[in-house]
Order: sequence, then structure tokens, then C-alpha cells
Amino acid sequence: MPIRLLSLPIDDLQYTLNCMDIGDLIAFSLCSKRTKNLVKASNRKMRPIEVYVKENYIRFEIREGNDYESISFHIFDFYIKLIRKEFKVWRKREFTQIDWIAHFISIVNGSMIDYLNIDTVSLSYLDAVYQFFPKCHRLDINERSSREFTKIAFWKLYPIAEKLDINKNIFDNDENDISKYLALNLTELSFIDWQKPFKLELEDLLVLNIARLTISPTNITEKELNRFLKLWMKGNHKFYRPNNIRLSLRNLVNREEVLRGVKYQIVSNRPQLKRADGKEVLITIRGRCVTFNFQG
Amino acid sequence: MSSTEQGTSSAAPAEPTTAPESAAAPEVPESFYYVHGKDKVVHKVSAGALQHSALIHGMISNLGYTEEQAKANPFPFENIDGDILQMVVDWCNQHKGKPTPPEDTNLPKQKEKLFDLVLAVNYLEIKELLTYCCKQVAMMVKGKSPEEIREIWMIPTDAEDEAAEKEAKKRAGKEAAGETAAAAGDAK
Repeated sequence: MPIRLLSLPIDDLQYTLNCMDIGDLIAFSLCSKRTKNLVKASNRKMRPIEVYVKENYIRFEIREGNDYESISFHIFDFYIKLIRKEFKVWRKREFTQIDWIAHFISIVNGSMIDYLNIDTVSLSYLDAVYQFFPKCHRLDINERSSREFTKIAFWKLYPIAEKLDINKNIFDNDENDISKYLALNLTELSFIDWQKPFKLELEDLLVLNIARLTISPTNITEKELNRFLKLWMKGNHKFYRPNNIRLSLRNLVNREEVLRGVKYQIVSNRPQLKRADGKEVLITIRGRCVTFNFQG
Repeated sequence: MSSTEQGTSSAAPAEPTTAPESAAAPEVPESFYYVHGKDKVVHKVSAGALQHSALIHGMISNLGYTEEQAKANPFPFENIDGDILQMVVDWCNQHKGKPTPPEDTNLPKQKEKLFDLVLAVNYLEIKELLTYCCKQVAMMVKGKSPEEIREIWMIPTDAEDEAAEKEAKKRAGKEAAGETAAAAGDAK
């Protein structure tokens, strides 16, 4: 027997929506513009949303605040598949993939998704992805993708992301172009490929314009790191954007070589360098890993 | 006016006192109040059971009725159907002086009555019962598709919403025009 839900007093209606699980709430939001607005206004707390881009569909992984069980929505061109305990297919007249995605993003509190993972897709589809997701917190280009694809995907999509994870060495070490990437104005970039170390030179570190950089592993030497520290010390009043550089070397780091001839003090058991303009760098050396934390 | 005595009949005679203060204090005879709905059937309910309703509890506290006065002046709830009020009274009696459990299996199962029950419970301000009712309403669409939800909850389509909005605007316009004409007539 049906009941007129929308005629309930607003508090009761809101409480009823709060009692629904996220899958049912999304189904409800698809009933009409009014129900969509009600769901938006309910401000349902959700855990960061993960999106996986595949060639034929886009997968949304949604979790509730304290629920570890996620619900997946596979968004195809003209329908979506809900994956819970069983498969369900929903269609909505005149809805295409971009409408489904816009609907999802608008009801999950804001336009930013937390994690966007890109698998190998056609290059034309990358343009569509750029349209679908105007912003994401973290962009991860799947390590299974080819070097060429990863490069193209990086250049097409880096403007939408705050953080980028590149899990493949996309550089030809004979024609090293890593500095082009490092000079970009990004918040966070991580290059990781344990099969093929990244070629990194002193000049690359000097042009660095990324706030947080991770490279694992790299073939930069302790000698170059030592020169980098000395040049940084000399660069009084010179703007240097990075606040954290984390590098994994191929072998155990020789601490003495990194700090040779550099004047430092020990703070929290770690060497700290201080420039005349008050800027500081705290250095952590552990195993194969060196981290520079810039302050001031 | 007929009368049922739900409060007295459903209360177990050997029921232990549940209020903590009454364990130490000498036993005070329980007071009863009377309510009726649209069907005018009067229900006798104990003050303890009625405490679930913030609305009735507030009325009782303000009035200070004696038993005789209470009998002579049952609280009228003309906006609540008799059978719905009966459900509410039953629930209040069953949960008199007891902490409400997280899930209530005693909730009425008739879905057709659920909507009226939510409205009544909302009006009577019975928070715990309202919580259960809303959960029950939410459960009606568990695992359903948008189309099924639209049917179960009678959700109008966008076109229907737009038509209703147009109609409401038209009506409001007419009413405003009528008021203006009447005001002009009065001025003459």
C-alpha cells in the first residue's frame, strides 16, 4: 500500500531519509528533482568517494561514515548497475553517462571526489573524463597502463588533481624530461616504480615547484644531495616552494656524505639546517630514504 | 460516548514499580487520564503511559486535574482516527515506565496505517515511537529501484511537480487579485 512520503512533516521526512542506507537514498534521489534536492539537503555524511575509470564504465565506490561495506555503482552510457548483495540495473530516461556522474557528484556533498583511478582507456575518453570530473583530490594513473598512455593521461588530467600518483617510470632516461613535470605548480606528486628507478639530478631539485614530492626509487647520489643542501643554504631570501621532498635511493644512504661540509644542529635527533633569513630544513635519513622538511 | 479501559486492562497486576524514586517512597495510587480521537471512543490511560507523549504530558502538568475532572474532560484529538489513537495508546501502555529498545517488534504492521500513525505520533510528540515509525517507512523501500520507490511513496514526476507548482501560482495570483478587488471595494 503506497504512502505519500513527501506529505510528511519535514522533520519526519528528514528522519526517514536518515534511516535509509546510502543505496536506497541514491535510488530515492533519482525519482525527481525534488527528491534529489531533499537528499542533497540531508547532508548525509559519507566517507571519501573513490572513482575508477574503465574503458566501458566508471565505477563509484561509496561508503557511509561508519560503514566499512561499500556500495559500487557501475555507470555505463545509458544505465547504471548497482552492486550490493545482488546486481540491479537502473535506467533514467534521457540520462547519459555525464548526467549520471553529475547527479552522483551533486548529491554526495560537493563537487570534489577524493580518489580518481584511471585505467587504460581510449585517448578520446580521457577528454570526457576531464569533463566529468572538474576536480579531484587524488589522481592515480594505474600502473598497468602503458608508458605512453600514462604520459598523455598525466598532461590531460593533472589540472583537475590536487595530488597525483604516477606508478610507472614514464621517462626515457636518455632524454630525461622529469624537470618539465617537477616545474609544474602542483600540491603533491608521487612517482613510484620499483622496477625502474627515476633519473633525478641536482638541477631538477632546484627547479622544483611542487609542494610535496615523493620519488621512489631514484638514482640521485649523496654527493648531489649534499650540493643541493649547500646551494639551498646560499639561497637566502630566494623563494623555494617545496615543503616536503621524500626520496628513496637505490642503496642505503650515506649520512656523512649528504651532510659533509654543511653546518647543522640536531633537533629531535635529526639534523636541521638554518639559513640567515630564518628558513629551515629538517633532514630525516633512514635506510634508503631521505626526507627534507622545509619550514619558515 | 463509549469507553475502553486500555490502560488498566493491559497493565499486569504484579508489575514491579519501575520508577526509581517509587522504590523508596510509599506507593502512590496511579492517576489516569482520558483521551479520544475522531471516533469519540474514550481511552483510559495511566499518567505513566502518557508520559511518552510530550504534548499530553505538558497538558497534564499544566492542568492539575483530579481523577473526576479528568474523566469528565477527556483530551480530544479530533485530527486522529480512532484506530490510530488506539494503536498509540496500546504502544504507550506496552512501553509504560520501560526503557525503549533499539528495535520495536510491537509496532503495528499495517503499512496502510503507517502514514496516519506517523502524523499522529508527530502531533502527539512521542519521540521514540516516531523514530520506530520512520524506520519502518524507510524499510518499505529497502533494495527498491527508483521506479519502485516512486510507486510506493507516491512521488510525483518532475512534470507533475511543475504542473502543481503552476496551478498553485495561478491560484495564489487569483486570490491576490480577489483580495485587491475586495480592498478596493471596501475603500469605496
